[in-house]
Amino acid sequence: TLLSDREEFEQIDFLKDRHVRFFQRTLQVLPERYASLETTRLSIVFFALSGLDVLGSLDVIDKDLIIEWIYSQQVLPTDDKSNLGRCGFRGSSHIGIPYSTKGPGVLHPYDSGHVAMTYTGLCSLLILGDDLSRVNKQGCLAGLRALQLEDGSFYSVPEGSENDIRFIYCAACICFMLDDWSGMNIQKAIEYIRGSLSYDNGFGQGAGRESHGGWTYCAIASLCLMGRLEEALSPRELDRIRRWCIMRQQSGFHGRPNKPVDTCYSFWVGATLELLGVFRYTNFEKNRNFILSTQDRLVGGFAKWPDSHPDPLHAYFGLCGLSLIGEPNLRKVHPALNITQGAFQHLQQLHQTWRSGCGQQH
Amino acid sequence: MRRKTTPEVVSTSCAELEAGKLAMSGVEKTSNESPEVEDKSKEMDAEADESFGDDYGVEPSQYLFYSDRKEWADLEPVPQDEGPNPVVKIAYSKKFSDVYDYFRALLKKDERSERAFALTADAIDLNAANYTVWHYRRILLQALSKDLRKEMTYITNIIEEQPKNYQVWHHRRMVVEWLNDPTEELAFIAEILSQDAKNYHAWQHRQWVIQEYKLWDNELEFVESLLEDDVRNNSAWNQRHFVISHTTGYSDPAVVDREIQILQDHGLSSQPGLLEKVLELKETHCSPYLLAFLFDCYEDALENTKNTEEQERQETLSKALEICELLAQEKDTIRKEYWQFLGRSLQSRHGRSPSEEPPAAEAESLPASGAQEAS
Repeated sequence: TLLSDREEFEQIDFLKDRHVRFFQRTLQVLPERYASLETTRLSIVFFALSGLDVLGSLDVIDKDLIIEWIYSQQVLPTDDKSNLGRCGFRGSSHIGIPYSTKGPGVLHPYDSGHVAMTYTGLCSLLILGDDLSRVNKQGCLAGLRALQLEDGSFYSVPEGSENDIRFIYCAACICFMLDDWSGMNIQKAIEYIRGSLSYDNGFGQGAGRESHGGWTYCAIASLCLMGRLEEALSPRELDRIRRWCIMRQQSGFHGRPNKPVDTCYSFWVGATLELLGVFRYTNFEKNRNFILSTQDRLVGGFAKWPDSHPDPLHAYFGLCGLSLIGEPNLRKVHPALNITQGAFQHLQQLHQTWRSGCGQQH
Repeated sequence: MRRKTTPEVVSTSCAELEAGKLAMSGVEKTSNESPEVEDKSKEMDAEADESFGDDYGVEPSQYLFYSDRKEWADLEPVPQDEGPNPVVKIAYSKKFSDVYDYFRALLKKDERSERAFALTADAIDLNAANYTVWHYRRILLQALSKDLRKEMTYITNIIEEQPKNYQVWHHRRMVVEWLNDPTEELAFIAEILSQDAKNYHAWQHRQWVIQEYKLWDNELEFVESLLEDDVRNNSAWNQRHFVISHTTGYSDPAVVDREIQILQDHGLSSQPGLLEKVLELKETHCSPYLLAFLFDCYEDALENTKNTEEQERQETLSKALEICELLAQEKDTIRKEYWQFLGRSLQSRHGRSPSEEPPAAEAESLPASGAQEAS
């Protein structure tokens, strides 16, 4: 390389403060061109909060205010509980329900939760240190059960949508966090996951589909959360999956053979490799160099590729990718649940409290 | 028709993974083209971002807010109630809010009318990722007995503009199901794939159509044409497997021969006498994949033939270990640690007199999701 030492240092310098400010701005206001994110805003909240948590910088935000807003997205049971199968969390108030953080639920012909918002909503509350005492567990689990199909996969909303392995992952996270697996038929979910294993040893979004780093993460992380990894997959299958995953590294990682590398796969594939015990055998330096090449030095955050605009998703997963390789000053991330180990420990404490019978969950 | 795509032709849509890895239910990745604001420092600056939409420059009288339209006067618009401290608030223009305030009003009363149907098109134009709008539009399509052929044209155009959005493909599938008519699908999907040969949504829709309506006949030919364009198109290879496994299967020797021939034409074969063939190819086409395959063959041989003479087993083992070294040192150095780990594992499992070997494998027991420190 013909760069001067100073340029080289700047090139690979991790700009922590910029990323903190990037997430702060994300939590405030986004311009109209982000309109397509409206129905999934709660997941963007998650990216920003978890990103700040990984950066050890949650102190820059007002946790209580955000907790209130998150709870205002909960679809609560009505007095007569006729909408139980539609409970969970919304992505935002786009339907027009009047703001409220407490029940009972308001009946509206089109109001229902979205499985990925319930998942990221619960994660966000945990990250903020909330005890989930205002989560209507019965509603969330009923809403979840209403989404599972015969083949084991899930819809995202009770009105119907596409169904695939992504929402199995969301469901597994929800059950795991609520410490209650009555929300799903595990056996069927496992069958769907196994059915998604491709001839080339990665997982597709469903049976027959092309194997892909994101869906492989969903498959493996779900099985780990369920505690069924070794029950569902043989040692040989696991070895083959390890091989598929580790072959995704080109510099950073790509999501499919012969596709360009993309920052977010440093997490999707990296975390999968970590769950399978072989992340340590990847090339940390090349991975790091690629992720940092997608860092936006001006506005902060990360993009999928170098010289592209950053966005909250890639900003978050870029950080997670760096956290996996042990970047200094970044908190460790639980590879299956995708929250920091600190947030995970908070969850474990809640579970202990619930199981010992103190502080009842309704 | 404004095309909303990221600049690069071949791109994996991370939008597919957004929203909590799946909340991604149809989040269109923010375009890397910022038509209004090029300056990166204004990336998130709400005030600086004027939404110069399609109507910029148009005579004001040509676009009327819904709140100014007489035929909507009976309806009370419903604003979005963000509460006292909204988070990740999106700064909508008046035009945007106006459309959606009326959308919310329609939803609240569950109105089933032509004007509602017309409004959904405006709402979709502003945000095609809003799944509630699409759901409501489907309700209206049925309640008003709308012309589904026209709807096919409509959704065709939208998918052309936004081919990586979950909602639009799901909507198309619903309409095709209602019409029970897949006749346009293969050609349409082929057209989308001609713009991005690896569009995951397109392939998924294609698999659904083929499987649902049993349209297997010409698919292998289609796959072959794509492989001619790009033999490295993994989506096409996957489709090949999909078709064969659902039609002839792989147990017929004629099928296997044909596949081998194709692979040989492209430089790789697999058949009995496999090892010899691969070893031949190793001389001229020594890729990491070929070597990894060789390693797997040796490993299989060791796993499955425990009764073989020890001498022969040790020879197989040492060939496998040679492959690992070759990969680690020369042919696939990015995965050096992994190939060396595989070699150690194989050694510990099949090496001579395990008691003589140092217990190198102990620290590497799997599966372990223990943390690993950065080197």
